[in-house]
Amino acid sequence: MFFVGPMRQHLDGHKSLSEHVQVKTVDTPSTVYIPLFTGGKDAIPCVNVGDHVYVGTKLGQKEVPFIVPVFSSVSGTVKAIEKHPHVGLKPVDHVVIENDGKYEEKAPLAPLSMDASDEALLERMKEAGIIGCGGAGFPAYVKYSAKGITDLIINAVECEPYLTADYNMLETTMDDFVAGVSLMYRLSHAQVAHVCIKESHPEMIEKLTKAFANVNGVEVHPVPDVYPMGWERVLIREVKHVEYNKLPAEVGCIVSNATTAIAFANAVLRGMPITQKMITVSGDAIDTPCNVIARVGTPFKDVIDTAGHIIGDEVMMCAGGPMMGRTQVSDQVCVVPETNGITLLKPRHDVEVACLRCGRCSDHCPSGLQPVRINTARKANDIDTLMKLEPMRCIECGLCTYVCPSKIAVTEGIRAAKRIVMLRGKK
Amino acid sequence: MKYVFNASPNYRDNVSTSRIMRDLTIGLLVVFIFGLVNQYMTYGMDNLIHSLILMIAALVTTLVTEGVWALVCKKPIGATLSHSYGWVTAIIFVLMLQSTATVYSVIVCSFLAILFGKLLFGGFGHNIFNPAAVARALVFASFASATAADVVSKATPVSTFANAGWVASSADSFNQFLTSFGGLFNFALGLYPGAIGETSFIVIALVGAVLAWRKVIDWRISLTYIVTLFVIATGLGIINGQPLTYGLYHVLTGGAIFGAVFMLTDPVTSPTSAAGRIFFAMGAAVLTLVIRVGASLPEGVLYSILLMNMVTPLIEKLFDGNQIDMKSKLVKYNAILAVCALVVMVVMSFMVTPAENVSYPTVVNLGASATNGDAIHVSAAGFSGEASPNAFDVVLDDETQTVVSVTFTTFNDTPGIGDQCNTPEFLDQFAGLGYDQIDDVEVISGATFTSNSVIDAVKQAIEGGNQ
Ligand code: SF4
Ligand code: SF4
Repeated sequence: MFFVGPMRQHLDGHKSLSEHVQVKTVDTPSTVYIPLFTGGKDAIPCVNVGDHVYVGTKLGQKEVPFIVPVFSSVSGTVKAIEKHPHVGLKPVDHVVIENDGKYEEKAPLAPLSMDASDEALLERMKEAGIIGCGGAGFPAYVKYSAKGITDLIINAVECEPYLTADYNMLETTMDDFVAGVSLMYRLSHAQVAHVCIKESHPEMIEKLTKAFANVNGVEVHPVPDVYPMGWERVLIREVKHVEYNKLPAEVGCIVSNATTAIAFANAVLRGMPITQKMITVSGDAIDTPCNVIARVGTPFKDVIDTAGHIIGDEVMMCAGGPMMGRTQVSDQVCVVPETNGITLLKPRHDVEVACLRCGRCSDHCPSGLQPVRINTARKANDIDTLMKLEPMRCIECGLCTYVCPSKIAVTEGIRAAKRIVMLRGKK
Repeated sequence: MKYVFNASPNYRDNVSTSRIMRDLTIGLLVVFIFGLVNQYMTYGMDNLIHSLILMIAALVTTLVTEGVWALVCKKPIGATLSHSYGWVTAIIFVLMLQSTATVYSVIVCSFLAILFGKLLFGGFGHNIFNPAAVARALVFASFASATAADVVSKATPVSTFANAGWVASSADSFNQFLTSFGGLFNFALGLYPGAIGETSFIVIALVGAVLAWRKVIDWRISLTYIVTLFVIATGLGIINGQPLTYGLYHVLTGGAIFGAVFMLTDPVTSPTSAAGRIFFAMGAAVLTLVIRVGASLPEGVLYSILLMNMVTPLIEKLFDGNQIDMKSKLVKYNAILAVCALVVMVVMSFMVTPAENVSYPTVVNLGASATNGDAIHVSAAGFSGEASPNAFDVVLDDETQTVVSVTFTTFNDTPGIGDQCNTPEFLDQFAGLGYDQIDDVEVISGATFTSNSVIDAVKQAIEGGNQ
């Protein structure tokens, strides 16, 4: 485009490292740590030390601004509620459960049928703690309460490099996926549901087309292999060619992740919340990249050890993909319901040079921001210009740092700018 | 096991600023090599060697200046030099020079431009003006008349046409002017007198295309500049009764393509936003035309770039904000500028008056004056062979059978090369010579064929007179 940049970029995904490798299962250790923390807020516990819990027992619930519950992933005894390292980088309260190794299940909710009413489905979304994409722990039920929806967009893009967990989930749980999408489609009252998948996966496109052949109104929509294709704004731009201000509902869209659809089907048909996750363990610092299945609350160390061996003495460990996944400094952090990957990378030794003002960051920012201008204004302490540049609309996708030829940590600069703007907002 | 922390993202593109600069350097060297070829073919070996010397002088001055600066600032010299990319500035500067520039002026101007145009601003990435353009402008301002003694100098098409006011008095006169330098195709090819690296549209455009593909330069700037310049120049030409090739001429000469590919795209001194860059390039094109036609200066490209560098911070401010929300504004501002460009074009069209009776260095009126009455018409094969020989009028002293004057009547050899013989200096040498002395005339190196055709013709004339 001529007046604005492409606002996206093809990345080398390294997907073949783990895509078609045999999925392994992690032996859940004798102690699991389930964070009482979801969507950036603390949850209030509803169990006590010494209580016996089952797989699926509700452990606590976050209440503000939206209700999201937390569930146990093993059966056993609550040993403590204590601070433990967390993927959010700040230690938070965890429910420590001694695993009795029996995995006795007690579904916290009663199974519903495929033709359950809208109200029942919405209630189920809320009770099962189904969190949508879009960060900030925005629960799915809030989105699906919106009126006037015309398009449901299902995000099966998985645009983060290295990650293939969603892809493997589709392979292994296609039936649940179809059921979940059908339920969401009905609930949303949209005219069309678009199942978006990268055009670089022709075999998966074929499978999906076949799977949805009998479902009216659902179409498979191949999208280009670019980053961040899985962000709702970029998806809506691609599918509907429109922009919106804050929420997709403004333009009649709901975007949900493929894994959310699968989790929803599980919650409706079996009354079970998410207790296990498909996790990609990949990167250039692990000898045998693959996907593993691990229970929520399993420390990363056990997950990595199941997958293979780390190469080298120093490694960068990202919870998620290398673009948005936060770098962890302890392998004691545990799998949370949002975990979809652990990327292990050799440390980089980039030499930072002066900003060349090449404008690549501005050309590629999917939010239409000008990272170079934001950082210049921040350094010059030019608050007025900074406000005008709207750094708060940054989603920290990391693309500006990725494209920067001068190897500047551009995204980190934007985070600093956000903090300045936030502080100002508080005054 | 050590878990290293780094704020996300932990994934980076392979493209680095050093790679960008390396590609750019290679591109510039390709252009330089072509420039050397042109210097040799158009002027001769001396100019080629002098061009090389100028390049070395500029490079050494730049690197020494930056090295000393690093020492003074107590920074590691190696890293500072390799991340300051001074050599790019030096090469661009030399490519913009005529090969007649003195080594002294190159050293002084490189030094001043690097110091005041770049280092004092805070070094690479902080300078407001394109340092190479600053250096070139300094040469104009301070050393305009200084030309090196040992090289050939020639009227360039741009300076010739600029003297004529950039607008020819008639379509015929314009065509005549083009032909005198080998026609439009030769302008595109670049074998004509001009700055070392600026003459060839084709070579620079090809290098530019590769650099754009390698994402070294932003093609949007180059394209916008060239298209805008072409459109407004063509419009101005049409209003003033110039042929349609007039717009092409503006694009093909005077370093327009060089500016578009290597100068305007300098990221440090151009805006960072896409819309800002379009605005910047369009503005530069308008200024180029205004400076060329309005002020009759040959260096419209250079000054327009410096002026646009100056307003870059303002353009940045104009386009600050969320680019998605501002989209209509982005388009609107650029549309306004495009309309302004057209208005400027029309206004300029009525302001210019083509200079009358300008003599272009054409085949018709070059050379020694001769009385056609008693001239002997002869022709002799030059570079183009027997098929299209050069034709001459040779006037002889009937008594002594020595030469009075030699004049070209038809020149069929390579413009810019062969016409080194079409000068009083060369032709006047024949005056007073007899048949036996003709062979002693020194041929012009680089224009041997044409020289020999003159010698042949004179001999023929004397032989004919003897019969
Ligand atoms: S990290 Fe923020 S500023 Fe950088 S490209 Fe992504 S959204 Fe834009
Ligand atoms: S990508 Fe890097 S070098 Fe280019 S403008 Fe942005 S911050 Fe500067």
